Amino acid sequence: MRARTRPLSHRRRFAAGLAVALLAGVGLCLALVAATREEALAERAERKAVITLRALAELVERAAGGEPGEAVRRAVARFAATHPEVRSVRVVTFEGIRLEASSDPADRGARAAPRRLERDEKPLYDLGQKLRAAVAENRESTAAAEAILGEEIALERRPDGGFALAAPVERGGEVLGLVQMRTEPAPQGAAAPSWLPFLAAWLAPVLVFALLALALGERRAPLAAAAAALLAVALGAVAWLGLRVAAEERRETGRQLAAHAAAEAAATRQLLAELGLPEAPPLAPGRWDVDVQRRPRQLLAAAGTLDEGRLGELVRRDASRLTRAVAWIAAAALALLAFVGFGGAARVGRDLVAHRAAYVYTVPALLAMLLLVFFPFLYGLVLSFTNANIYNSNKPLAELWVGLANFGDILADWRVFERTAEGLVFDYQNFYWTLGFTTVWTVSNVLIGVSIGLALALALNTRGLRLRPLYRVLLILPWAMPNYISALIFRGMFHQQFGVVNQLRQLFGAAPLAWFDSPLTSFLALLTTNGWLSFPFMMVVSLGALQSIPADLYEAARVDGATRWQQFRSITLPSLRPALVPAVILSVIWTFNQFNVVYLVSAGEPAGATEILITQAFKIAFEQYRYGYAAAYSMLIFLILLAYGIWQNRVTKATEAIA
Amino acid sequence: MTRRGPGEVAHWPLHLFVGAMVLLTVYPILWVAAVAISGGQTPALADVPQDATAADRVRTLLPWPETVSGANFRALFTDQPFARWVLNSTIVAAATTLLGVFLASTAAYAFSRFRFPGRRAGLMSFLVAQMFPGTLMLIPLYIIIVQMLGLGSSWLGLVLVYTTTAIPLCVWMMKGYFDTIPKELEESALIDGASQATIFFRIVLPLAKPAVAVTALFSFMTGWTEFIQAATFMNKEEMYTIPVGLRFFVGGFSQQWGYFAAGSIVAALPVVVLFLFLQKFLVSGLTAGAVKG
Repeated sequence: MRARTRPLSHRRRFAAGLAVALLAGVGLCLALVAATREEALAERAERKAVITLRALAELVERAAGGEPGEAVRRAVARFAATHPEVRSVRVVTFEGIRLEASSDPADRGARAAPRRLERDEKPLYDLGQKLRAAVAENRESTAAAEAILGEEIALERRPDGGFALAAPVERGGEVLGLVQMRTEPAPQGAAAPSWLPFLAAWLAPVLVFALLALALGERRAPLAAAAAALLAVALGAVAWLGLRVAAEERRETGRQLAAHAAAEAAATRQLLAELGLPEAPPLAPGRWDVDVQRRPRQLLAAAGTLDEGRLGELVRRDASRLTRAVAWIAAAALALLAFVGFGGAARVGRDLVAHRAAYVYTVPALLAMLLLVFFPFLYGLVLSFTNANIYNSNKPLAELWVGLANFGDILADWRVFERTAEGLVFDYQNFYWTLGFTTVWTVSNVLIGVSIGLALALALNTRGLRLRPLYRVLLILPWAMPNYISALIFRGMFHQQFGVVNQLRQLFGAAPLAWFDSPLTSFLALLTTNGWLSFPFMMVVSLGALQSIPADLYEAARVDGATRWQQFRSITLPSLRPALVPAVILSVIWTFNQFNVVYLVSAGEPAGATEILITQAFKIAFEQYRYGYAAAYSMLIFLILLAYGIWQNRVTKATEAIA
Repeated sequence: MTRRGPGEVAHWPLHLFVGAMVLLTVYPILWVAAVAISGGQTPALADVPQDATAADRVRTLLPWPETVSGANFRALFTDQPFARWVLNSTIVAAATTLLGVFLASTAAYAFSRFRFPGRRAGLMSFLVAQMFPGTLMLIPLYIIIVQMLGLGSSWLGLVLVYTTTAIPLCVWMMKGYFDTIPKELEESALIDGASQATIFFRIVLPLAKPAVAVTALFSFMTGWTEFIQAATFMNKEEMYTIPVGLRFFVGGFSQQWGYFAAGSIVAALPVVVLFLFLQKFLVSGLTAGAVKG
């Protein structure tokens, strides 16, 4: 109706849609291209620094092979003299914790090498030990055909743009020390991206569309087709440009690395000659281009020449990655175009304006919920498909993706117990044990709560009972207490040595009991605590319902000669039902999620036997630091709660229908 | 003794049953009070000699300490950083209350008075958010609050988390109340030329005072008594809230039961008193569709 009041031009809508879609699509594509270029420059600088470092390490290793002390110092001094881009070099040997050689201006005079490392240089020594451990670890992984993860080269980009690198110094397969190298800040090569391609790719299609629209008139389908085609052409052109840039950068990286390796090899050869060291075995500059695990990246052949086949492969890989990204962007831009062009945006805009008061009132609360409830939920969902943990939490989630493996690990592990010589041995960490325990815990608590609460409510509801207000206030106290305090109080009362519960046992001649050493007694302690703090709710609800039953119902029943039991069965219970059903539903959820009692009273003792699902998820996350696994665990709990919620909704509807 | 009519039961068994239950109910509270005023740190109420007689054993069960002293309360505020924790809890709970009531009342007003696209979806999202315990979101929340926003060990981080925890229930409670306020009042104010904001702040909110009070109480209790999120986000000792601090006294290998007991009484007293005054509202609010504990 509203749409008819002001006929809107299809032409204008599609023009606006095309402009917005192009703005977003072209902008994102070009940003992607700029990021690719930036990344290529950073990678190039990093790999060149690594090649220099490896050349230096090679030189030091060869120099140390002859006569350790003086030869190494001379090699380092000559190396520093021939490499202006290197700010300082330091060589540390583990034996004697010595600074063997240094070109650092700070290491002069009293601090000149060789000398023992000072106390404040301990991080340097520790770094060396870390590299040594990584080398040993990787050797074992190689032998066991496992993934190689240890970082044998330390690489750090300093705030000023220079690098700080370190590599182990080996002789005969043994790590003797490390060589550390700092480079001068390199000039930032990346030119500011030009605005020209952006403006061209944005303006040209819009202008073309304006001309086309004049010819096409107010016909919706042709206008839509024309806009979509223009969008595709513009994005295609930008993508083609991006692919070319990426390929060019990749080739340039290859060329520069090959040239750098050749230059380093020549310099090293000359230094070896100056130092009077033989060049045998021959240098292999191609193997200096390595990743942080010191595995050759295989872009250069051993002799240092560029491997064209490998380069082509890398270019193709870049292209397919970039194409995929552009395809996603194009799909999003097309959706945007359709949204604006077919009037969706206009409708949403009209709604926003027409109901602006309502949105102004709701947006703050919804925004807060979005940021701290719905976004975390989605983030948790994504996390549950990864193997994120405390050690790799700085990596992008896409690299940690494991698909459904977490859910498989949790759900497919059916080994709840094992038969051994001593009988059944339960695995308390198993999901199904915890699920079973949580179910038993919930059911028994609700039963206890309902029966005690109902019994007390019936007693208190007796007509003419004296002291009733006093009883009521005292009995409600556990509900008023913060439950973490109640839980800690019971933890104290179940204390093995000093707790009053064990004093009571001793009064009757029994030995004091370590309540949290066996699953059953631990469960009883939990049950006592939760029973104590949860019955008042049931009591109050039942009491309220009982008091609303009209007294003449009972009068009439008595006149008809009904017994007390019959009155209870046919008047009291049915009248309690509408109040008790929601109360039980609530109390099931509360008990199922009763984190504080379990965490503070038994803390899952013994060995996680009395853990409920929610405390177990917490422990996996914050004691084992397996974030991804814990997120998957939490998602399963969500699903259980969701299923319960849906079921509960049906039951409530059914009871409402009956009532 | 009054004479009872036929079919009525004798009262003394009821008194016996209810009295026993009252004793069991009150005992833990008396116990914690006794430990608090004992001046010592053990959870025992009396020393037991090596060859204890039955009388000695009974003595250990009586919730009255052997020596009475205010030392625990004094030390709590002088030797221990408890005053600082009370300050943290007060600031967090008060800010949660202000923010929670403001956000919940505006949203609830819109949901109650306006019909707009997205209204049903918004209401449902609050209902769904309410079903799930915040503990399940701890990992993503931890990453967002601590690692992304850098709000670990800060009042603001905890206030944001508590407010969003409290909002759904508060919105539903307030909406229910707004629904009962007749629209005619606002319509006549509108005719008199009052703006939408004037109507809300000058007419509707004052009329909804009881609901605002309950919402405020609920938000305050959330901030004052929540344990596990505070324990996760507040890592520095001087930033603990009361629950984290009390657990610090008796968690792990720490056995300072005297400080814990004294602190518990300080922490629980205001909440218990408030609760006893306002329980009627809470019960009706909770059973009216709330699901979260």
